[in-house]
Amino acid sequence: MSQSTPPNCEPNSTSTPEQPGVLVVRKHHFLVRWSHWLNLPILLGLILSGISIYWASPIYQHRQDPNTGNADVAADIGIWICAHVPGQHHYSSPPDWIYNHMSLGPGMLALALRLHWSCAYLFMLNGIVYVAGLVMGGAWRSLLPRRTDLLDALRMFRYYLGFPLAKLARRQWLHPRFNTKYNALQRAAYFSVSVAGFVSVATGWSIHKPMQLHWLAELFGGYNAARVWHFWLMWVYFLFVVPHVILVFADGWDTLRSMIVGWSTRAARSEVIAK
Amino acid sequence: MNNDEKERHTFDGMEPVVKSVSVKKPQSFFGERPLTAIEMAPRVLRYQSRRDFLVFGAGALAALAGAGFVLPQQTLSRMGMPRNMDSPGKERFLNKALRIDDDVAEALYSGTRRVPTYTKSQITSLKNNYNGATPDPSYITGWNLTLSGLASGLSISLDIRNLLTRFSVHEQITRLVCVEGWSGIAWWAGLKFDDLLRAYPPMSQAKWARVESSVNLDASGNPDPYFMSLDLATARHRQTLLATHVNGQPLTLDHGAPLRLLVPVKLGLKNVKAITSITYVAEEPRDYWAERGYSRYDGI
Repeated sequence: MSQSTPPNCEPNSTSTPEQPGVLVVRKHHFLVRWSHWLNLPILLGLILSGISIYWASPIYQHRQDPNTGNADVAADIGIWICAHVPGQHHYSSPPDWIYNHMSLGPGMLALALRLHWSCAYLFMLNGIVYVAGLVMGGAWRSLLPRRTDLLDALRMFRYYLGFPLAKLARRQWLHPRFNTKYNALQRAAYFSVSVAGFVSVATGWSIHKPMQLHWLAELFGGYNAARVWHFWLMWVYFLFVVPHVILVFADGWDTLRSMIVGWSTRAARSEVIAK
Repeated sequence: MNNDEKERHTFDGMEPVVKSVSVKKPQSFFGERPLTAIEMAPRVLRYQSRRDFLVFGAGALAALAGAGFVLPQQTLSRMGMPRNMDSPGKERFLNKALRIDDDVAEALYSGTRRVPTYTKSQITSLKNNYNGATPDPSYITGWNLTLSGLASGLSISLDIRNLLTRFSVHEQITRLVCVEGWSGIAWWAGLKFDDLLRAYPPMSQAKWARVESSVNLDASGNPDPYFMSLDLATARHRQTLLATHVNGQPLTLDHGAPLRLLVPVKLGLKNVKAITSITYVAEEPRDYWAERGYSRYDGI
Protein backbone atom coordinates (compact mmCIF):
# COMPACT_ATOMS: atom_id res chain seq x y z
CA MET A 1 0.00 0.00 0.00
CA SER A 2 1.19 3.46 -0.84
CA GLN A 3 0.30 5.12 2.41
CA SER A 4 1.70 3.01 5.17
CA THR A 5 1.45 4.40 8.65
CA PRO A 6 4.21 6.93 9.28
CA PRO A 7 6.61 5.76 12.00
CA ASN A 8 5.55 8.43 14.45
CA CYS A 9 2.00 7.16 14.64
CA GLU A 10 2.39 3.44 15.04
CA PRO A 11 -0.29 2.00 17.29
CA ASN A 12 0.44 2.61 20.97
CA SER A 13 2.96 5.31 20.16
CA THR A 14 0.49 8.13 20.88
CA SER A 15 -1.99 8.54 23.73
CA THR A 16 -0.11 11.52 25.05
CA PRO A 17 -2.58 13.62 27.01
CA GLU A 18 -2.31 16.72 24.77
CA GLN A 19 -2.83 14.87 21.48
CA PRO A 20 -4.95 11.72 21.81
CA GLY A 21 -4.81 9.35 18.83
CA VAL A 22 -7.83 8.73 16.63
CA LEU A 23 -8.93 5.16 16.07
CA VAL A 24 -9.56 4.48 12.40
CA VAL A 25 -10.11 1.43 10.21
CA ARG A 26 -8.75 1.12 6.71
CA LYS A 27 -11.83 0.51 4.61
CA HIS A 28 -10.81 0.84 0.97
CA HIS A 29 -7.54 0.08 -0.77
CA PHE A 30 -6.37 3.04 -2.85
CA LEU A 31 -6.77 1.07 -6.10
CA VAL A 32 -10.39 0.36 -5.15
CA ARG A 33 -10.95 4.07 -4.46
CA TRP A 34 -9.42 5.15 -7.76
CA SER A 35 -11.30 2.61 -9.84
CA HIS A 36 -14.51 3.47 -7.97
CA TRP A 37 -14.33 7.13 -9.01
CA LEU A 38 -12.99 6.42 -12.49
CA ASN A 39 -16.15 4.41 -13.13
CA LEU A 40 -18.10 7.66 -12.99
CA PRO A 41 -16.71 9.35 -16.16
CA ILE A 42 -16.13 6.02 -17.94
CA LEU A 43 -19.66 4.69 -17.41
CA LEU A 44 -21.11 8.08 -18.27
CA GLY A 45 -19.12 8.04 -21.52
CA LEU A 46 -20.22 4.48 -22.25
CA ILE A 47 -23.89 5.22 -21.63
CA LEU A 48 -23.98 8.51 -23.56
CA SER A 49 -22.15 7.06 -26.56
CA GLY A 50 -24.10 3.81 -26.20
CA ILE A 51 -27.44 5.58 -26.59
CA SER A 52 -26.04 7.44 -29.60
CA ILE A 53 -25.18 4.04 -31.09
CA TYR A 54 -28.64 2.74 -30.18
CA TRP A 55 -30.12 5.61 -32.24
CA ALA A 56 -28.67 4.10 -35.45
CA SER A 57 -30.68 0.91 -35.06
CA PRO A 58 -33.09 0.90 -32.11
CA ILE A 59 -33.97 -2.51 -30.69
CA TYR A 60 -37.52 -1.41 -29.92
CA GLN A 61 -39.33 -0.29 -33.03
CA HIS A 62 -42.93 -0.26 -34.23
CA ARG A 63 -44.58 0.26 -37.57
CA GLN A 64 -43.66 3.64 -38.99
CA ASP A 65 -46.00 6.39 -37.75
CA PRO A 66 -47.61 8.03 -40.82
CA ASN A 67 -47.63 11.46 -39.12
CA THR A 68 -44.12 11.63 -37.74
CA GLY A 69 -42.36 9.07 -39.91
CA ASN A 70 -40.97 7.63 -36.70
CA ALA A 71 -40.62 3.95 -35.81
CA ASP A 72 -38.41 4.22 -32.72
CA VAL A 73 -40.05 3.71 -29.33
CA ALA A 74 -37.36 5.79 -27.61
CA ALA A 75 -38.03 8.69 -29.98
CA ASP A 76 -41.75 8.38 -29.12
CA ILE A 77 -40.91 9.28 -25.53
CA GLY A 78 -39.22 12.46 -26.76
CA ILE A 79 -42.21 13.27 -28.97
CA TRP A 80 -44.51 12.78 -25.99
CA ILE A 81 -42.33 15.02 -23.80
CA CYS A 82 -42.34 17.78 -26.44
CA ALA A 83 -46.13 17.56 -26.67
CA HIS A 84 -46.88 17.48 -22.96
CA VAL A 85 -44.07 19.07 -20.96
CA PRO A 86 -44.38 22.84 -20.61
CA GLY A 87 -41.54 24.76 -22.20
CA GLN A 88 -40.78 22.01 -24.72
CA HIS A 89 -43.64 22.72 -27.16
CA HIS A 90 -41.45 24.57 -29.61
CA TYR A 91 -38.64 22.01 -29.64
CA SER A 92 -37.37 21.94 -33.21
CA SER A 93 -37.10 18.18 -33.64
CA PRO A 94 -39.21 16.18 -31.18
CA PRO A 95 -37.98 12.72 -32.35
CA ASP A 96 -34.44 13.86 -31.50
CA TRP A 97 -35.38 15.12 -28.03
CA ILE A 98 -34.49 11.93 -26.20
CA TYR A 99 -31.15 11.56 -28.04
CA ASN A 100 -30.31 15.24 -27.56
CA HIS A 101 -30.87 14.88 -23.82
CA MET A 102 -29.84 11.31 -23.03
CA SER A 103 -26.92 10.73 -25.39
CA LEU A 104 -24.12 12.49 -27.23
CA GLY A 105 -26.71 13.23 -29.87
CA PRO A 106 -28.36 11.66 -32.91
CA GLY A 107 -26.60 11.18 -36.24
CA MET A 108 -23.08 10.73 -34.96
CA LEU A 109 -22.60 6.98 -35.14
CA ALA A 110 -18.94 7.03 -36.22
CA LEU A 111 -17.95 9.33 -33.38
CA ALA A 112 -20.08 7.51 -30.83
CA LEU A 113 -18.51 4.19 -31.81
CA ARG A 114 -14.99 5.58 -31.45
CA LEU A 115 -15.82 7.00 -28.02
CA HIS A 116 -17.57 3.79 -27.00
CA TRP A 117 -14.52 1.68 -27.84
CA SER A 118 -12.19 4.13 -26.06
CA CYS A 119 -14.34 4.05 -22.93
CA ALA A 120 -14.83 0.29 -23.19
CA TYR A 121 -11.08 -0.39 -23.15
CA LEU A 122 -10.71 2.01 -20.20
CA PHE A 123 -13.62 0.26 -18.45
CA MET A 124 -11.93 -3.14 -18.83
CA LEU A 125 -8.60 -1.75 -17.56
CA ASN A 126 -10.44 -0.13 -14.68
CA GLY A 127 -12.12 -3.44 -13.86
CA ILE A 128 -8.69 -5.07 -13.63
CA VAL A 129 -7.51 -2.25 -11.33
CA TYR A 130 -10.61 -2.76 -9.15
CA VAL A 131 -10.06 -6.51 -8.84
CA ALA A 132 -6.36 -5.93 -8.12
CA GLY A 133 -7.33 -3.49 -5.35
CA LEU A 134 -9.82 -5.97 -3.91
CA VAL A 135 -7.20 -8.71 -3.86
CA MET A 136 -4.39 -6.54 -2.49
CA GLY A 137 -6.58 -5.03 0.21
CA GLY A 138 -8.30 -8.34 0.99
CA ALA A 139 -11.70 -6.67 0.62
CA TRP A 140 -12.96 -9.25 -1.88
CA ARG A 141 -13.91 -11.46 1.06
CA SER A 142 -16.35 -8.81 2.29
CA LEU A 143 -18.17 -8.88 -1.04
CA LEU A 144 -18.80 -12.61 -1.29
CA PRO A 145 -22.46 -13.63 -0.92
CA ARG A 146 -23.35 -15.69 2.16
CA ARG A 147 -26.00 -18.29 2.83
CA THR A 148 -27.80 -15.95 5.24
CA ASP A 149 -27.85 -13.06 2.74
CA LEU A 150 -31.35 -13.45 1.39
CA LEU A 151 -33.02 -13.14 4.79
CA ASP A 152 -30.63 -10.42 5.95
CA ALA A 153 -31.13 -8.45 2.75
CA LEU A 154 -34.89 -8.55 3.30
CA ARG A 155 -34.37 -7.24 6.84
CA MET A 156 -32.29 -4.37 5.48
CA PHE A 157 -34.88 -3.67 2.82
CA ARG A 158 -37.57 -3.51 5.48
CA TYR A 159 -35.37 -1.14 7.48
CA TYR A 160 -34.85 1.24 4.55
CA LEU A 161 -38.54 1.18 3.67
CA GLY A 162 -39.65 1.86 7.23
CA PHE A 163 -36.96 4.43 8.02
CA PRO A 164 -38.68 7.52 6.53
CA LEU A 165 -42.02 6.57 8.12
CA ALA A 166 -40.40 6.00 11.49
CA LYS A 167 -38.66 9.37 11.20
CA LEU A 168 -41.99 11.08 10.46
CA ALA A 169 -43.67 9.30 13.36
CA ARG A 170 -40.66 10.12 15.57
CA ARG A 171 -40.43 6.48 16.40
CA GLN A 172 -37.23 4.66 17.02
CA TRP A 173 -36.31 2.42 14.09
CA LEU A 174 -33.35 0.18 14.74
CA HIS A 175 -30.77 -0.62 12.13
CA PRO A 176 -30.43 -4.39 11.86
CA ARG A 177 -27.20 -5.55 13.44
CA PHE A 178 -24.45 -6.95 11.27
CA ASN A 179 -21.08 -8.23 12.21
CA THR A 180 -19.59 -7.64 8.78
CA LYS A 181 -18.10 -4.76 6.76
CA TYR A 182 -21.24 -4.47 4.65
CA ASN A 183 -24.83 -5.39 5.36
CA ALA A 184 -26.41 -8.08 3.22
CA LEU A 185 -28.16 -5.60 0.92
CA GLN A 186 -24.97 -3.63 0.33
CA ARG A 187 -23.08 -6.82 -0.34
CA ALA A 188 -25.71 -7.98 -2.83
CA ALA A 189 -25.60 -4.58 -4.56
CA TYR A 190 -21.81 -4.29 -4.77
CA PHE A 191 -21.41 -7.92 -5.80
CA SER A 192 -24.09 -7.82 -8.48
CA VAL A 193 -22.99 -4.49 -9.95
CA SER A 194 -19.51 -5.96 -10.37
CA VAL A 195 -21.06 -8.99 -12.07
CA ALA A 196 -23.10 -6.62 -14.25
CA GLY A 197 -19.87 -4.87 -15.25
CA PHE A 198 -18.38 -8.19 -16.24
CA VAL A 199 -21.49 -9.28 -18.19
CA SER A 200 -21.65 -5.88 -19.90
CA VAL A 201 -18.12 -6.41 -21.14
CA ALA A 202 -18.90 -9.98 -22.22
CA THR A 203 -22.09 -9.00 -24.09
CA GLY A 204 -20.23 -6.03 -25.56
CA TRP A 205 -17.57 -8.31 -27.01
CA SER A 206 -20.20 -10.70 -28.32
CA ILE A 207 -21.88 -7.86 -30.25
CA HIS A 208 -18.57 -6.36 -31.31
CA LYS A 209 -17.10 -9.61 -32.65
CA PRO A 210 -20.13 -11.83 -33.39
CA MET A 211 -18.18 -13.96 -35.86
CA GLN A 212 -14.81 -14.55 -34.18
CA LEU A 213 -16.48 -14.80 -30.75
CA HIS A 214 -19.74 -16.39 -31.92
CA TRP A 215 -19.64 -18.87 -29.03
CA LEU A 216 -19.92 -15.88 -26.69
CA ALA A 217 -22.94 -14.52 -28.56
CA GLU A 218 -24.51 -17.99 -28.43
CA LEU A 219 -24.04 -17.97 -24.65
CA PHE A 220 -26.41 -15.00 -24.53
CA GLY A 221 -28.85 -16.53 -27.01
CA GLY A 222 -27.39 -15.20 -30.25
CA TYR A 223 -26.35 -11.86 -31.67
CA ASN A 224 -29.72 -10.11 -31.41
CA ALA A 225 -30.36 -11.36 -27.89
CA ALA A 226 -26.89 -10.21 -26.84
CA ARG A 227 -27.77 -6.69 -28.01
CA VAL A 228 -30.88 -6.78 -25.83
CA TRP A 229 -28.82 -8.01 -22.86
CA HIS A 230 -26.27 -5.26 -23.43
CA PHE A 231 -29.03 -2.63 -23.57
CA TRP A 232 -30.79 -3.74 -20.39
CA LEU A 233 -27.55 -4.12 -18.45
CA MET A 234 -27.18 -0.36 -18.81
CA TRP A 235 -30.29 0.02 -16.66
CA VAL A 236 -28.67 -2.06 -13.91
CA TYR A 237 -26.25 0.83 -13.38
CA PHE A 238 -29.11 3.31 -13.02
CA LEU A 239 -30.88 0.90 -10.69
CA PHE A 240 -27.70 0.70 -8.64
CA VAL A 241 -26.53 4.30 -8.74
CA VAL A 242 -29.74 6.02 -7.62
CA PRO A 243 -30.14 4.28 -4.23
CA HIS A 244 -26.33 4.10 -3.91
CA VAL A 245 -25.98 7.88 -4.01
CA ILE A 246 -29.05 8.50 -1.83
CA LEU A 247 -27.83 6.05 0.80
CA VAL A 248 -24.29 7.41 0.84
CA PHE A 249 -25.60 10.88 1.60
CA ALA A 250 -28.09 9.49 4.12
CA ASP A 251 -25.35 7.50 5.79
CA GLY A 252 -23.15 10.52 6.28
CA TRP A 253 -19.85 12.17 5.62
CA ASP A 254 -17.68 9.41 7.02
CA THR A 255 -18.88 6.90 4.39
CA LEU A 256 -18.40 9.32 1.49
CA ARG A 257 -15.01 10.44 2.79
CA SER A 258 -13.81 6.87 3.23
CA MET A 259 -14.07 6.35 -0.53
CA ILE A 260 -11.61 9.24 -0.97
CA VAL A 261 -9.23 8.86 1.96
CA GLY A 262 -9.64 5.14 2.55
CA TRP A 263 -10.19 5.20 6.30
CA SER A 264 -13.24 5.50 8.48
CA THR A 265 -13.65 6.54 12.08
CA ARG A 266 -16.88 4.59 12.45
CA ALA A 267 -15.36 1.47 13.94
CA ALA A 268 -13.13 3.53 16.14
CA ARG A 269 -16.03 5.42 17.65
CA SER A 270 -17.86 2.25 18.36
CA GLU A 271 -14.72 0.75 19.84
CA VAL A 272 -14.41 3.67 22.24
CA ILE A 273 -18.03 3.24 23.25
CA ALA A 274 -17.62 -0.46 23.65
CA LYS A 275 -14.77 0.07 26.10
CA MET B 1 -31.89 0.43 25.36
CA ASN B 2 -28.39 1.40 26.30
CA ASN B 3 -25.99 3.70 24.53
CA ASP B 4 -24.27 0.84 22.90
CA GLU B 5 -27.39 -0.29 21.05
CA LYS B 6 -28.24 3.21 19.87
CA GLU B 7 -24.89 3.73 18.33
CA ARG B 8 -25.38 0.82 15.96
CA HIS B 9 -27.87 2.72 13.82
CA THR B 10 -25.07 4.35 11.99
CA PHE B 11 -22.42 1.69 12.35
CA ASP B 12 -22.06 -0.39 9.26
CA GLY B 13 -18.53 -1.59 9.89
CA MET B 14 -17.70 -4.89 11.45
CA GLU B 15 -16.74 -5.39 15.05
CA PRO B 16 -13.44 -3.57 15.31
CA VAL B 17 -10.39 -5.31 16.65
CA VAL B 18 -7.41 -3.36 17.86
CA LYS B 19 -4.33 -4.44 15.98
CA SER B 20 -2.56 -5.88 19.01
CA VAL B 21 -5.39 -8.33 19.61
CA SER B 22 -4.88 -11.49 17.62
CA VAL B 23 -7.80 -13.20 15.95
CA LYS B 24 -8.87 -16.16 17.98
CA LYS B 25 -10.22 -18.81 15.67
CA PRO B 26 -8.52 -19.74 12.38
CA GLN B 27 -10.32 -18.23 9.39
CA SER B 28 -11.40 -20.06 6.28
CA PHE B 29 -9.88 -18.76 3.06
CA PHE B 30 -13.17 -17.22 1.96
CA GLY B 31 -14.20 -16.02 5.41
CA GLU B 32 -14.39 -12.28 5.95
CA ARG B 33 -11.57 -10.89 8.08
CA PRO B 34 -12.34 -8.21 10.65
CA LEU B 35 -11.12 -4.72 9.83
CA THR B 36 -8.24 -3.74 12.02
CA ALA B 37 -8.54 -0.50 13.91
CA ILE B 38 -5.38 1.53 14.21
CA GLU B 39 -4.64 4.60 16.23
CA MET B 40 -3.49 7.61 14.23
CA ALA B 41 -2.32 11.03 15.31
CA PRO B 42 -4.95 13.62 14.26
CA ARG B 43 -2.24 15.69 12.60
CA VAL B 44 -1.24 12.79 10.34
CA LEU B 45 -4.87 12.01 9.50
CA ARG B 46 -5.48 15.64 8.60
CA TYR B 47 -2.41 15.70 6.40
CA GLN B 48 -3.36 12.47 4.62
CA SER B 49 -6.97 13.61 4.09
CA ARG B 50 -5.86 16.94 2.66
CA ARG B 51 -3.48 15.16 0.32
CA ASP B 52 -6.11 12.65 -0.82
CA PHE B 53 -8.76 15.32 -1.37
CA LEU B 54 -6.33 17.40 -3.44
CA VAL B 55 -5.27 14.41 -5.52
CA PHE B 56 -8.83 13.19 -6.14
CA GLY B 57 -9.96 16.76 -6.85
CA ALA B 58 -7.19 17.10 -9.42
CA GLY B 59 -8.34 13.78 -10.89
CA ALA B 60 -11.90 15.08 -11.17
CA LEU B 61 -10.67 18.23 -12.94
CA ALA B 62 -8.56 16.12 -15.28
CA ALA B 63 -11.60 13.96 -16.08
CA LEU B 64 -13.65 17.08 -16.87
CA ALA B 65 -10.90 18.44 -19.09
CA GLY B 66 -10.61 15.05 -20.78
CA ALA B 67 -14.36 14.96 -21.43
CA GLY B 68 -14.20 18.46 -22.93
CA PHE B 69 -11.37 17.26 -25.12
CA VAL B 70 -13.00 14.12 -26.53
CA LEU B 71 -16.72 15.01 -26.62
CA PRO B 72 -18.15 15.98 -30.02
CA GLN B 73 -18.62 19.70 -30.64
CA GLN B 74 -22.37 19.21 -31.19
CA THR B 75 -22.72 17.73 -27.70
CA LEU B 76 -20.64 20.47 -26.10
CA SER B 77 -22.61 23.22 -27.86
CA ARG B 78 -25.83 21.70 -26.58
CA MET B 79 -24.42 21.76 -23.07
CA GLY B 80 -23.80 25.49 -23.46
CA MET B 81 -20.14 25.45 -24.47
CA PRO B 82 -20.04 28.19 -27.11
CA ARG B 83 -16.37 27.89 -28.05
CA ASN B 84 -15.29 25.46 -30.73
CA MET B 85 -13.29 22.80 -28.91
CA ASP B 86 -12.58 20.65 -31.94
CA SER B 87 -8.89 20.05 -32.36
CA PRO B 88 -6.69 17.86 -34.55
CA GLY B 89 -5.47 16.26 -31.31
CA LYS B 90 -8.97 14.95 -30.64
CA GLU B 91 -9.17 13.30 -34.05
CA ARG B 92 -5.72 11.80 -33.54
CA PHE B 93 -6.66 10.48 -30.10
CA LEU B 94 -9.91 8.89 -31.27
CA ASN B 95 -8.28 7.45 -34.39
CA LYS B 96 -5.59 5.94 -32.18
CA ALA B 97 -8.28 4.26 -30.09
CA LEU B 98 -9.81 2.96 -33.30
CA ARG B 99 -6.45 1.59 -34.49
CA ILE B 100 -6.06 -0.31 -31.22
CA ASP B 101 -9.50 -1.80 -31.68
CA ASP B 102 -8.65 -2.71 -35.29
CA ASP B 103 -5.45 -4.41 -34.13
CA VAL B 104 -7.46 -6.40 -31.59
CA ALA B 105 -9.91 -7.39 -34.34
CA GLU B 106 -7.05 -8.48 -36.57
CA ALA B 107 -5.52 -10.53 -33.75
CA LEU B 108 -8.88 -12.24 -33.16
CA TYR B 109 -9.27 -13.13 -36.83
CA SER B 110 -8.50 -16.67 -37.83
CA GLY B 111 -8.32 -17.75 -41.46
CA THR B 112 -9.58 -21.20 -40.56
CA ARG B 113 -12.43 -20.25 -38.22
CA ARG B 114 -15.77 -20.46 -39.99
CA VAL B 115 -18.62 -18.12 -39.19
CA PRO B 116 -21.88 -19.73 -38.00
CA THR B 117 -24.19 -20.95 -40.73
CA TYR B 118 -27.96 -21.19 -40.45
CA THR B 119 -30.83 -23.22 -41.84
CA LYS B 120 -33.26 -21.96 -44.47
CA SER B 121 -35.97 -21.54 -41.83
CA GLN B 122 -33.75 -18.99 -40.05
CA ILE B 123 -33.50 -16.68 -43.07
CA THR B 124 -34.63 -13.14 -42.23
CA SER B 125 -35.46 -10.15 -44.34
CA LEU B 126 -32.51 -8.07 -45.46
CA LYS B 127 -32.99 -4.39 -45.97
CA ASN B 128 -31.52 -2.37 -48.79
CA ASN B 129 -29.06 -0.16 -46.99
CA TYR B 130 -27.51 1.65 -49.94
CA ASN B 131 -26.33 4.77 -48.17
CA GLY B 132 -27.38 6.91 -51.12
CA ALA B 133 -29.95 6.37 -53.84
CA THR B 134 -30.26 2.90 -55.33
CA PRO B 135 -28.59 3.01 -58.79
CA ASP B 136 -30.60 2.92 -61.99
CA PRO B 137 -30.70 -0.65 -63.39
CA SER B 138 -29.31 0.51 -66.75
CA TYR B 139 -25.77 -0.29 -65.58
CA ILE B 140 -26.51 -4.03 -65.45
CA THR B 141 -26.52 -4.53 -69.20
CA GLY B 142 -22.93 -4.19 -70.30
CA TRP B 143 -21.67 -4.73 -66.74
CA ASN B 144 -18.05 -5.86 -66.45
CA LEU B 145 -15.72 -6.69 -63.60
CA THR B 146 -12.24 -5.27 -64.12
CA LEU B 147 -9.32 -6.97 -62.37
CA SER B 148 -6.01 -5.15 -62.13
CA GLY B 149 -2.79 -5.37 -60.14
CA LEU B 150 -2.41 -8.93 -61.37
CA ALA B 151 0.78 -10.98 -61.53
CA SER B 152 0.47 -11.00 -65.31
CA GLY B 153 0.60 -7.21 -65.33
CA LEU B 154 -2.55 -7.17 -67.42
CA SER B 155 -5.96 -5.78 -66.72
CA ILE B 156 -8.74 -8.29 -67.19
CA SER B 157 -12.38 -7.67 -67.86
CA LEU B 158 -14.92 -10.34 -67.04
CA ASP B 159 -18.65 -10.36 -67.67
CA ILE B 160 -21.16 -12.23 -65.54
CA ARG B 161 -21.28 -15.19 -67.98
CA ASN B 162 -17.50 -15.66 -67.69
CA LEU B 163 -17.77 -15.66 -63.93
CA LEU B 164 -20.71 -18.06 -63.76
CA THR B 165 -19.27 -20.57 -66.22
CA ARG B 166 -15.61 -20.53 -65.15
CA PHE B 167 -16.10 -20.92 -61.43
CA SER B 168 -17.91 -23.43 -59.27
CA VAL B 169 -20.81 -22.10 -57.24
CA HIS B 170 -20.75 -22.16 -53.44
CA GLU B 171 -23.70 -21.60 -51.17
CA GLN B 172 -23.95 -20.49 -47.60
CA ILE B 173 -26.58 -19.17 -45.21
CA THR B 174 -24.81 -16.60 -43.09
CA ARG B 175 -25.47 -13.48 -41.10
CA LEU B 176 -24.63 -10.03 -42.40
CA VAL B 177 -24.00 -7.59 -39.53
CA CYS B 178 -24.32 -3.85 -40.08
CA VAL B 179 -22.22 -1.31 -38.20
CA GLU B 180 -25.54 0.26 -37.18
CA GLY B 181 -26.37 -2.83 -35.12
CA TRP B 182 -29.02 -4.65 -37.16
CA SER B 183 -28.28 -7.88 -38.95
CA GLY B 184 -29.88 -10.22 -41.46
CA ILE B 185 -29.54 -13.86 -42.37
CA ALA B 186 -29.68 -14.74 -46.07
CA TRP B 187 -28.88 -17.65 -48.35
CA TRP B 188 -26.09 -16.56 -50.64
CA ALA B 189 -24.55 -18.24 -53.67
CA GLY B 190 -21.59 -17.26 -55.80
CA LEU B 191 -17.96 -17.95 -56.45
CA LYS B 192 -15.29 -17.98 -53.81
CA PHE B 193 -13.07 -14.92 -53.81
CA ASP B 194 -10.23 -17.38 -53.21
CA ASP B 195 -11.03 -19.16 -56.50
CA LEU B 196 -10.82 -15.85 -58.35
CA LEU B 197 -7.46 -15.15 -56.66
CA ARG B 198 -6.19 -18.55 -57.83
CA ALA B 199 -7.47 -18.10 -61.38
CA TYR B 200 -6.09 -14.57 -61.69
CA PRO B 201 -3.26 -14.34 -59.16
CA PRO B 202 -2.42 -10.87 -57.87
CA MET B 203 1.07 -9.44 -58.15
CA SER B 204 3.43 -10.94 -55.58
CA GLN B 205 3.75 -7.87 -53.34
CA ALA B 206 -0.03 -7.35 -53.13
CA LYS B 207 -1.46 -7.45 -49.61
CA TRP B 208 -4.73 -5.64 -50.22
CA ALA B 209 -7.64 -5.51 -52.59
CA ARG B 210 -9.38 -2.28 -53.43
CA VAL B 211 -12.97 -3.24 -54.21
CA GLU B 212 -14.94 -0.56 -55.99
CA SER B 213 -18.42 0.12 -57.26
CA SER B 214 -18.42 2.97 -59.74
CA VAL B 215 -22.21 2.90 -60.07
CA ASN B 216 -22.80 3.93 -56.44
CA LEU B 217 -24.86 7.11 -55.96
CA ASP B 218 -25.07 9.65 -53.17
CA ALA B 219 -28.34 10.58 -51.47
CA SER B 220 -29.29 13.08 -54.18
CA GLY B 221 -28.58 10.57 -56.95
CA ASN B 222 -25.22 11.90 -58.13
CA PRO B 223 -22.35 9.50 -58.89
CA ASP B 224 -20.44 8.70 -55.69
CA PRO B 225 -18.02 5.81 -56.32
CA TYR B 226 -17.82 3.43 -53.37
CA PHE B 227 -14.39 2.01 -52.64
CA MET B 228 -13.31 -0.26 -49.87
CA SER B 229 -10.11 -1.86 -48.63
CA LEU B 230 -9.98 -5.59 -48.03
CA ASP B 231 -6.93 -7.43 -46.73
CA LEU B 232 -6.11 -10.47 -48.85
CA ALA B 233 -6.08 -12.74 -45.78
CA THR B 234 -9.81 -12.04 -45.42
CA ALA B 235 -10.39 -12.29 -49.18
CA ARG B 236 -8.96 -15.83 -49.02
CA HIS B 237 -11.33 -16.88 -46.20
CA ARG B 238 -13.40 -19.78 -47.50
CA GLN B 239 -16.68 -18.04 -46.67
CA THR B 240 -15.77 -14.88 -48.57
CA LEU B 241 -17.88 -14.99 -51.72
CA LEU B 242 -18.42 -12.91 -54.80
CA ALA B 243 -22.15 -13.48 -54.63
CA THR B 244 -24.39 -13.67 -57.67
CA HIS B 245 -27.52 -15.06 -56.02
CA VAL B 246 -29.50 -14.45 -52.87
CA ASN B 247 -32.23 -16.71 -51.51
CA GLY B 248 -32.17 -18.82 -54.69
CA GLN B 249 -32.64 -15.90 -57.10
CA PRO B 250 -30.16 -13.76 -59.02
CA LEU B 251 -29.21 -10.66 -57.03
CA THR B 252 -31.79 -7.90 -57.28
CA LEU B 253 -30.91 -4.27 -57.85
CA ASP B 254 -31.36 -3.61 -54.12
CA HIS B 255 -28.74 -6.17 -53.23
CA GLY B 256 -26.11 -5.21 -55.77
CA ALA B 257 -26.86 -7.06 -59.01
CA PRO B 258 -25.09 -8.67 -60.73
CA LEU B 259 -22.15 -9.23 -58.36
CA ARG B 260 -21.54 -8.22 -54.79
CA LEU B 261 -18.94 -9.01 -52.19
CA LEU B 262 -20.12 -11.19 -49.32
CA VAL B 263 -17.58 -11.18 -46.53
CA PRO B 264 -19.36 -12.30 -43.36
CA VAL B 265 -16.26 -11.81 -41.16
CA LYS B 266 -16.52 -8.06 -41.84
CA LEU B 267 -19.17 -5.46 -41.14
CA GLY B 268 -21.83 -4.99 -43.81
CA LEU B 269 -20.21 -1.81 -45.09
CA LYS B 270 -17.34 -3.91 -46.50
CA ASN B 271 -19.81 -6.05 -48.48
CA VAL B 272 -19.66 -3.89 -51.60
CA LYS B 273 -22.70 -4.11 -53.90
CA ALA B 274 -22.50 -3.97 -57.71
CA ILE B 275 -18.72 -4.38 -57.78
CA THR B 276 -17.17 -2.96 -60.94
CA SER B 277 -13.46 -3.37 -60.24
CA ILE B 278 -11.02 -5.15 -57.97
CA THR B 279 -7.46 -3.83 -57.81
CA TYR B 280 -4.67 -5.61 -55.93
CA VAL B 281 -2.22 -3.29 -54.22
CA ALA B 282 0.72 -3.52 -51.81
CA GLU B 283 -0.27 -0.62 -49.53
CA GLU B 284 -3.57 -0.30 -47.70
CA PRO B 285 -5.91 1.47 -50.12
CA ARG B 286 -8.40 4.22 -49.25
CA ASP B 287 -11.67 3.22 -47.69
CA TYR B 288 -14.97 5.08 -48.13
CA TRP B 289 -16.19 4.73 -44.54
CA ALA B 290 -12.76 5.00 -42.88
CA GLU B 291 -12.61 8.48 -44.43
CA ARG B 292 -15.89 9.20 -42.70
CA GLY B 293 -14.71 8.30 -39.20
CA TYR B 294 -15.38 4.56 -39.10
CA SER B 295 -12.70 1.92 -38.57
CA ARG B 296 -10.80 0.55 -41.56
CA TYR B 297 -10.36 -3.12 -40.69
CA ASP B 298 -13.97 -3.75 -39.60
CA GLY B 299 -13.39 -7.37 -38.64
CA ILE B 300 -16.20 -8.84 -36.58
